Amino acid sequence: MKALALQLRHPRPGLQWAATILGPLLAFALFLLISGANPIELYGMMIESVFGDWYGIGEVIIKSTPFILTALAAALPAKAGMINVGGEGQLALGALVATWSAVYLLSDMPGALGLPLMALFGALGGAVWAGIAGLLKTKGNMNETITTLLMNYIAFFTIGFFCQGILKDPASFNWPFSPPVAEQLRLPTFSVTSRAHIGIFIAVAVALLVWFVIYHTRLGFRIRTVGGNAEAARQAGINVKSIQLGVLIAAGAIAGLAGMIEISGIEERLRPTTGVNYGYLGFLASWMAWNHPLRLVVTALIIGTISVAGNSMEMNSGLPASSVQILMALVLFALLIMGRRKKA
Amino acid sequence: MFGRGSQQMSAVKPERIPGQIVLEAKGLTIRFGSLTANDQVDLKVIAGQVHAVLGENGAGKSTLMKMLYGVYVPDEGTLSMDGKPVVLHPPAQARLHGIRMVFQDFRLVPALTVLDNIALAVATKGTRYSPKSMREEIAKVATRYRIDVNPDAYIWQLDLGQRQRVEILKALLSPDTRIVIFDEPTSVLTPHEVEAFLDMIQVLKKDGYGVLLITHKITEVMAVADCVTVLRQGKVTFSATKSEGFTESHLVETMMGAKPMPSIKRKEEVHRECLLDVKGLTVSGDHGQIVLEDVSFSLHRGEIVGVAGISGNGQRELVETLFGLRHTLTGNINLDGKDITNERPGVLLDMGMAFVSEDPVKESVIPGFTILEHMILGGLPMTPKGFGVDWGSTLRQLEESEDVRRLKLADPSRSASELSGGNIQRMVLSRALLRNPRLLLVSYPSRGLDIGTTKAVQQILSALADQGSTILLISEDLSELFELSDRLVVLANRQLLGPYHPLETDMHTIGRVMLKGESA
Repeated sequence: MKALALQLRHPRPGLQWAATILGPLLAFALFLLISGANPIELYGMMIESVFGDWYGIGEVIIKSTPFILTALAAALPAKAGMINVGGEGQLALGALVATWSAVYLLSDMPGALGLPLMALFGALGGAVWAGIAGLLKTKGNMNETITTLLMNYIAFFTIGFFCQGILKDPASFNWPFSPPVAEQLRLPTFSVTSRAHIGIFIAVAVALLVWFVIYHTRLGFRIRTVGGNAEAARQAGINVKSIQLGVLIAAGAIAGLAGMIEISGIEERLRPTTGVNYGYLGFLASWMAWNHPLRLVVTALIIGTISVAGNSMEMNSGLPASSVQILMALVLFALLIMGRRKKA
Repeated sequence: MFGRGSQQMSAVKPERIPGQIVLEAKGLTIRFGSLTANDQVDLKVIAGQVHAVLGENGAGKSTLMKMLYGVYVPDEGTLSMDGKPVVLHPPAQARLHGIRMVFQDFRLVPALTVLDNIALAVATKGTRYSPKSMREEIAKVATRYRIDVNPDAYIWQLDLGQRQRVEILKALLSPDTRIVIFDEPTSVLTPHEVEAFLDMIQVLKKDGYGVLLITHKITEVMAVADCVTVLRQGKVTFSATKSEGFTESHLVETMMGAKPMPSIKRKEEVHRECLLDVKGLTVSGDHGQIVLEDVSFSLHRGEIVGVAGISGNGQRELVETLFGLRHTLTGNINLDGKDITNERPGVLLDMGMAFVSEDPVKESVIPGFTILEHMILGGLPMTPKGFGVDWGSTLRQLEESEDVRRLKLADPSRSASELSGGNIQRMVLSRALLRNPRLLLVSYPSRGLDIGTTKAVQQILSALADQGSTILLISEDLSELFELSDRLVVLANRQLLGPYHPLETDMHTIGRVMLKGESA
């Protein structure tokens, strides 16, 4: 009895991981039972739909790509001691500027030149959006958590404004979306059986880059110093404000790149709903990975998997796809509890 | 347990009969680990009298008050009120017995008005309170004690002096208050406000309150105290009533203690070039109050200038301003003829400054970084290697340093957040010394260090100055200041006083200047 109590208080790492993974699934199964679905059957179908064929796996990769980038947009500022909740708006602005550049500037350019430029414009859009929050923080002493969050709403309506107005496709029968981007400005796919495009490689490359900068460069050392103790950084002669501003701009650029990839790789045109919630899910992925730029690739894939599985659940059980968000929340809680235990 | 029910049940006599002993503490002892913060302390609080508790920083005054206010439970000793033994822990219990404390850092809600804050503290019965009757009561008490504060102002709008008045109102509006403890009340007040405060104390005496006044300002003690207790290193070194008599000079002596005169080697008077020149410096503190006003001084090459003063008299603000961490209101700072006023710390580091903060545990440690990683933050240069840092060469420089070896720095691969205060002190000192600075700004260098390392630090600083570096040394330890300094200055009353030459003055003179300013 005593041994059991001890075991519960100090479980072995293997057991901890098992509980972290199985706990949420069991709790969600309970929810499914109450809603009248057969959890075992449904879990089977969800796994089948995700890992059953290349198409499913491709969907997971497509879904996870923007999550990786928006997660990085949260993780990088976190290393400098800031909380960027604005991946959502930065992605949206990236998508807007990328679409605008594709439609008005780059439509006749060859893809080899046009795609990098379009990516640059996307990153620029996100960078400017995050830069506003950065300036508000460094010049106006305003909390970046609040400003980035509020600017998400402004971004959402800004996108809507353009989709309904100057960027509206004349041939859209009054639907609010932009004209499609030219064929050569679509990201190449690497598989014939799925829609998977090369965006995942870009995302993983950016993750590697962020990881390298943070942990293996002098700049990264300074960033981590600012994040660890801003006062100590100041006393060490580090210009804390310019680091904070720079990091937020870089984070915005990464999220903006996600917006460009979404347009160029999947959506082909800008809609008011482009990338909705991707910023928040990326934020989630980042915190689940304790803001580690490589570990968050894994958590982004987990969130991507759950999202794709949610679609199949909707088709098979009649439950709305959004109910899979309950599962996502449960997974997050489990991971957070585990993280707390580790610290204690 | 300490809710409203017990409040109604507790039979506290709210009478305040002047001359009666309200609270008596006998043999109070409390230990924190190996430190005995209070050792066999006796104290009496008499209604209608002011009992002043004097002592240097760290003498154990605040600890003693916190035992009387129920924050700490004494390890030994007894507390009794009206002759009956009482338990005062937790503070809610102390308040039930009519003990109120006015803290240095105020316990007020900034987003609420004065009225609301007072109501929070006073109106404990029921869930509703009547703002109207509360307002009347505030007006009544405020007039009696001449406490001028607008009940509808928000706390965040008030300056420190006004906030203190709200705290005092909170204490006085509780009908069962018998003893009011003031923790260094005048440190936040302007001279004019101090006068008003002392007047108010006189009215409190007349009304039969027992007043405990923690302070290190002798003039205030002489003005209002009926009874004084001096603490040094946790022990009572002197205790007397007014009728038994106490004099200013005697109080200073008992506070400072009879420290052995250190041996001072007289350095030859040489003409030294000026390195740092400060003119007309005015600086404000964290709350916007002026802490240094029109201060001018200069530092010469190869000299150690000691800064004495009761802590909180602008030491922190002075060095922060010199190091570019705090902006000046007025004034000029010149280093080697170059204007460095409000220059960034990074630039000043490059010009050969080094800085040891007064609170390294809080301000110098990066959680998760090793000691080695800390060395390139304001210490050794960041040697590039590819995109990263050449840690190998950093480690070599660290290991080759004689100073670091003498300071007994811990293993460089250890994480700094796991270090004790003393080891962190070794780390920040090593870091500053590795820089081989032209100008070293160092605060409390021997804090947290054992005697042997303290000696080593003092020898290293001396040697550094002999090699031509300039050191501005801030310390609370007068014997350390006398031993090391070529010149001494004192911070008191927003002024920088001096310089004094350690050979031409003595600790008691400096101590008096610290406590009372130049008029002493």
